[in-house]
Amino acid sequence: MIFKVTRWLKDVGILGMNRRNAEYIMRCNPRSSFPLVDDKLLTKRLAEEQQIPTPPLYHTIEYHGDIARLKKVLDGQRDFVVKPARGAGGSGIVLVTDHTSEGFVKQSGEVISWKDLTYHISDILSGIYSLEGLEDRVLLEALVHPDPIFDAVSYRGVPDIRIIVYRGVPVMGMVRLPTRASDGKANLHRGAIGVGIDIGKGKTLTGVHRSRIVTYHPDTGNPVSGLQVPYWESMLLMAARAVDMTGMGYLGVDMVIDWERGPLLLELNARPGLQIQIANQMGLHRRLELIDRAPSDIFSTPKVRVAWAVEKFKVSDF
Amino acid sequence: MKRPAVWLAVVLLFLSFAFISYRILWLRYPAFPTAPGKAWQLHMEAYIKADQKEISVMIGLPHTDAGGIVVEERITSGKLTLNLLREGPNQVGIWSGDVGPEEEVISYRSTIHMAHPPSSRAKPPKPEPYPASVGRREQALAERLVRKWSQLGPPARLRAVAATVAGNWGVPPPDDQDLREWSAFQKKHGRPEALLVLLRAADLPAQPVEGLYLIESISTSLLVWIEVWTGRHWENLQPETGEIYRKSVSFLPLTTGGLPAVRVSHGQLSKVRWTLTQQIISHWRIHFERIKRSNRLLDRWSLFRLPPEFQGTFRILLLVPISALMVCILRNIVGFPTFGIFMPVLMALAFRNTGLSYGLGIFAGVVVIGYLVRRWIDKLRLLLVPRLSVILTLVIACITVFALIGNKLGLREFMAVGLLPFVILTMTIERFFIITEEAGVRKGFWTAAGSAAVATITYEIIHLEPLQLTFFVYPELLFAVAAFQVLLGRYTGYRLSELIRFRKLRSPL
Repeated sequence: MIFKVTRWLKDVGILGMNRRNAEYIMRCNPRSSFPLVDDKLLTKRLAEEQQIPTPPLYHTIEYHGDIARLKKVLDGQRDFVVKPARGAGGSGIVLVTDHTSEGFVKQSGEVISWKDLTYHISDILSGIYSLEGLEDRVLLEALVHPDPIFDAVSYRGVPDIRIIVYRGVPVMGMVRLPTRASDGKANLHRGAIGVGIDIGKGKTLTGVHRSRIVTYHPDTGNPVSGLQVPYWESMLLMAARAVDMTGMGYLGVDMVIDWERGPLLLELNARPGLQIQIANQMGLHRRLELIDRAPSDIFSTPKVRVAWAVEKFKVSDF
Repeated sequence: MKRPAVWLAVVLLFLSFAFISYRILWLRYPAFPTAPGKAWQLHMEAYIKADQKEISVMIGLPHTDAGGIVVEERITSGKLTLNLLREGPNQVGIWSGDVGPEEEVISYRSTIHMAHPPSSRAKPPKPEPYPASVGRREQALAERLVRKWSQLGPPARLRAVAATVAGNWGVPPPDDQDLREWSAFQKKHGRPEALLVLLRAADLPAQPVEGLYLIESISTSLLVWIEVWTGRHWENLQPETGEIYRKSVSFLPLTTGGLPAVRVSHGQLSKVRWTLTQQIISHWRIHFERIKRSNRLLDRWSLFRLPPEFQGTFRILLLVPISALMVCILRNIVGFPTFGIFMPVLMALAFRNTGLSYGLGIFAGVVVIGYLVRRWIDKLRLLLVPRLSVILTLVIACITVFALIGNKLGLREFMAVGLLPFVILTMTIERFFIITEEAGVRKGFWTAAGSAAVATITYEIIHLEPLQLTFFVYPELLFAVAAFQVLLGRYTGYRLSELIRFRKLRSPL
């Protein structure tokens, strides 16, 4: 039984955790480049140099003493996002959509006081959300107003798009839809839905919710498949370019689509999860091996790489 | 990529194997150090009284070359000085000095492991000349008496010679004159010596031995028997009756070659007693003393040379890498989540004092209390480090209260928690809280269950005494453990949990 399933996973080309770590992350991602992707502030600066759009940065907080000046900074902003620079898996991120007299309104509708917010910020600074427990910095960014295309299939929050890029070639993509359980966050382990995307056309495929395959959003009841992701081609190109600036071979590129600004680079992930395979009903390993066997001239420019990926990984021509 | 790792593993395995083979084949270590072996405990106690001031008592003692392995010797000498001396094939303890008018007690205690068959004594002795007290005429007489058996093989010859002690001279009987002369000789020198002369005449190497029956017993006098070499092995002969002991009867020789086992000058033994008891001990203990005395490099660098108070620690420490290997297997092959990587291992080490069930219980209790307090503390907006300090204080307080409750209920295990690593508990509470907050209570409990499982497995492993001893005797097994760790490091196959996780993919594809 065990051997049969193992055999079958191998035939389908599913990538396991051990192989991902040993043969892709450890082999392709040099240790020295990790700070670039683990620190969102560094990623942002790098992206700006490459003219890759990111959500506008309002302010960074480095020391507990800076919190006092926060009021002034946030004065003109109705909505914003609080983010730890080195947080993992979406932890420590607070989306604020509005102020009231009692305090800030979170994306979930919950109201948190000024004190709660500063407490949260000082927690971030102490490093409670950072990867190694080191002292951290806080980013205050513009809140993204997502493109309405996913409104019918998101419960509050901002859906984001993850594209896995190997050696500069987009391999697989999915859109992550927040649910009530995920508190407006687009992280699968918090209960968001992942929906696979056809690399060729940018149309959504099936969804995965807590390792179950779903076709409807659990909160809104609308079908998640068959949606056309806007700006798909340019997002593929953005992902392919974003990887070039880091020197990493295997990355997850997370993007959001702002209805005014278009696609924005949110963050890079040097250890992208494997759930994307379920959302796409497709194994990553098979595609990664295809890239390794590809002729070297396809790697010349991001445009060529994207064109090759669209041709090779398109699901069908419907 | 894969090959260097495999080569490293092979080299490590080879190193481990080479060291162990060297120890077993050249240094004669036990292949199964924990297999139980039978050993005898000999206890000799003697009361001595001096005639004059200076007394000297010489007593034959068992020693390692005499066929067994003697370990853990303990000798008391009272006011006397003790010397251990080699006298021919024997080891003799000499107690000498001034004891005054009072009785003095000396004692000797040792554990003896009898090898089967006694290896060092398996060689036949060189033929010895007749004793000086035996004249040429008597030699000729003895040779005449046994001549008719010279065609027989040694065992049969021995039986024929032995039968003469009971007066059975076989057919044809020797002539009456010779027989009369022989009984006179027997009377003059005693039966044992006469028998030895006859055995010498029959070309059967033989020697008188003093010692004890190897059975659980208390004896006040020693046994004398004659060992006869019959070509392949020794046979034992009762010198007074000529009876040949059956193979199943074994002896503990104290002196061989005719030396009396007990000699006293200028005094006497008022009482002497030998006690033999049997005990079951593991092979490693039998080899323990030998390793301690050996001069071979690996023996000198053996863990047995550590002061005993540190040995216990290393018996546990050497097994920790196996636990780490278990963590590797559980995480990378099975895919079970745990808090931290080696935290369960540290948990298991902490359970050593309390026992497993109490340890897990106390651990769970403290974590639950800590979790509830942590939830409440979350509202207080404490900074990270002070918050962790508060939880640490809480953990210590919990442990203290548990100890007080344990004292009231008479449960020692509750008090033994003192060494439970409180830092681990503190971090577990914090991690448990964060996991339940971020990924749900279910994930939190699964992780807790994974940690408890690893801790339990680890606890069981480090408490397996046979494994402890095996690693203690052969610390090079660590190379082998490292080899498996290296191999696991290159395992890129699926985890068991992934078979379940990606099972969902199966139907649509």
